[in-house]
Amino acid sequence: MWFRKIYGFNFAVNYHFKNKRMLSITNLHAQIGEKEILRGINLEVKAGEVHAIMGPNGSGKSTLASVLAGREDYEVTDGSVSFFGKDLLDLAPEERAAEGVFLAFQYPVEIPGVSTTNFMKSAVNEIRKYRGEEPLDAVQFLKMFKEKMAYVNIDQSLLSRSLNEGFSGGEKKRNEIFQMAVLAPKLAILDETDSGLDIDALRIVAEGVNKLKSPDNATIVVTHYQRLLDYIVPDYVHVLYKGRIVKSGTKELALELEEKGYDWIISALVD
Amino acid sequence: MATDTLVTISLPKEKQSSLDRFLAKGFPTNKWEEWKYTSLKSLNDIEWNWNTSEQSANSAALALENTVEIQTQNGKMTLKGTLPTGVEYLDFASFAAQKPEFMRTFNERNPILDQNSLYDLNDALASSHQVIWVKKGVKLDKPILHTYFASVSIASAIQIKLLIYLEEGSSLTWVDDLASSEDSKSILSNYVQEIWVSKNAHLTFVKTQDFGLSTTHVDHTFINQEDQSLVDMFTFSLNGGLIRNNLHFYVDGEQVVSNLNGLYVPGNNQLVDSHTVVDHRMPNSESNELYKGVLLGNSTGVFNGKIFVRPDAQKTNAFQSCKNVLASDKATMNTKPQLEIWADDVKCSHGTTTGQLSDEALFYMQSRGISQDAAKTLLMLAFVQQVIDKVEIPALKESISNRVVTKIQQALGV
Ligand SMILES: Nc1ncnc2c1ncn2[C@@H]1O[C@H](COP(=O)(O)OP(=O)(O)OP(=O)(O)O)[C@@H](O)[C@H]1O
Ligand SMILES: [Mg+2]
Repeated sequence: MWFRKIYGFNFAVNYHFKNKRMLSITNLHAQIGEKEILRGINLEVKAGEVHAIMGPNGSGKSTLASVLAGREDYEVTDGSVSFFGKDLLDLAPEERAAEGVFLAFQYPVEIPGVSTTNFMKSAVNEIRKYRGEEPLDAVQFLKMFKEKMAYVNIDQSLLSRSLNEGFSGGEKKRNEIFQMAVLAPKLAILDETDSGLDIDALRIVAEGVNKLKSPDNATIVVTHYQRLLDYIVPDYVHVLYKGRIVKSGTKELALELEEKGYDWIISALVD
Repeated sequence: MATDTLVTISLPKEKQSSLDRFLAKGFPTNKWEEWKYTSLKSLNDIEWNWNTSEQSANSAALALENTVEIQTQNGKMTLKGTLPTGVEYLDFASFAAQKPEFMRTFNERNPILDQNSLYDLNDALASSHQVIWVKKGVKLDKPILHTYFASVSIASAIQIKLLIYLEEGSSLTWVDDLASSEDSKSILSNYVQEIWVSKNAHLTFVKTQDFGLSTTHVDHTFINQEDQSLVDMFTFSLNGGLIRNNLHFYVDGEQVVSNLNGLYVPGNNQLVDSHTVVDHRMPNSESNELYKGVLLGNSTGVFNGKIFVRPDAQKTNAFQSCKNVLASDKATMNTKPQLEIWADDVKCSHGTTTGQLSDEALFYMQSRGISQDAAKTLLMLAFVQQVIDKVEIPALKESISNRVVTKIQQALGV
């Protein structure tokens, strides 16, 4: 009796905060124009997990990330994506953000005349509105920004400038993670956040991501380099090739890829 | 024809010849090169009252603290309050009698009046011809506010003429708050301002235009600048059925700085046409022109920016930029920069762009939780803010900003 009670309690904790089914991608096909880019993706991500997606240039990694975030240029022709049981593909990009999806862009976009702070204020309050929460006021924002800035060691002066306009490659990536810290997403998709970062910045950004990790959220990291995975240690590594996940494994797979490249996987494929 | 009634009017000789010049040409139509996108032909179909005596209510659109106000209501100008020492407000004839030597120079100013028949019409029929005269070395620390309001129950032409004369070393901030009532009968508002900025003088001029749909406003603002003078000009075209701005700068001195800033946000069934001329006649001067437009609904915008650099105007720096955002598929923008350069040692640049908001930027913003319409609004406000932020009078800046923000938000349903 006593034992079962404890067990039940533990089980409940696990159920709510860990290993909860978050994202299920089933047979996802997407195309742009006549060109089919995703050709049947299956992926299962649970709360608390880190998944790495690797694969040669042009294999469809950014496309997958964009489709998940809701970019309309890509037409989903088959398959489904559910996020906490909701049909993700049915939601507008801003609704997905409000539900907790975040994409750190491979190429962050310049927003002339809008500072990061103003941008994040609008974003946070729109999301709060969606969730039926009261908007934050200037003082609350100030406090929150200060706290989040520390995560990625970002400077106030950068946040006051026009978003991404004239930012260095590294500054853009760092700013993406700052935004992620502010929005505290359930599912973060980091598309080559490591590229363009110097060695120190890579460590800082990775530490920032790790600090944001909780049993409650999950991360998908798209990367070409094992180096990042030394910092953000994945539970699973997937290889995307020509729009399909052709191999999945644990973190050792990334080491193997680093050493041997992709040829040994590709040549083993039938079609 | 609406102009038929003009034939019977009898005027003093000089005014009569202006009227005759107008009658010979009539209202501009889009057969005229300078009016290609902005025909006034339909004004012919209206029976105009050429000399209204109707009273209009005061608009009080803008309240600026501690300013002297000059009110124009349906074309009648009145001074409210007392002008500071060193500034006079008087009628043109009295001024001309007091300053014969200036009048000789003034009469040689030679503005470009091609295809400008409404200037002649104004010259013939203006109900007020007044002068603001800022004496030598007088620097006003508070703006003078001109509130111009029109509202009529029968279609009327409202025409005034104003001379602003800044003597050597003086400085003035002039705010032109132009408006008309939304439910007025047709108004032809034909407004001439001739401005003389003497050596070392500084003029800041902020013009806001916020008219009802039944108003056609034609604005002629002609500015002459002498050595080392500085003019900061702002034109905010917020509302109106049709607004045509003829803004001319005649650079008659050296080390002159002319800054032309413009912002227009026409909405449904509105047209804003900005025709600017910067005529560099003397060397070593600088002009900077920055115009921006957000075109909402089915509106039309026109920008024609002429820069002349005459043979004597060596070492001129002249810059022009006109950027536009089409906020809807039904809006159109016509741009035509026109640079004519006769001097060889000059720096000139110009650029015009017209586009939609970038899909990439919108998606990026949406991916952070901002709805598409809110994202559009945010981008457009950032786009126009660059011009608004240059206005240094806080209450005025705020009033303009609020009106622009509200208009854009309403058009996008945010
Ligand atoms: N808008 C587009 N129009 C045409 N083709 C596109 C478009 N976007 C992506 N593609 C094509 O889809 C394929 C997959 O591109 P994607 O950016 O997803 O690759 P990736 O795996 O992220 O590559 P990388 O490692 O270089 O970032 C590429 O062949 C690319 O050219
Ligand atoms: Mg990519």
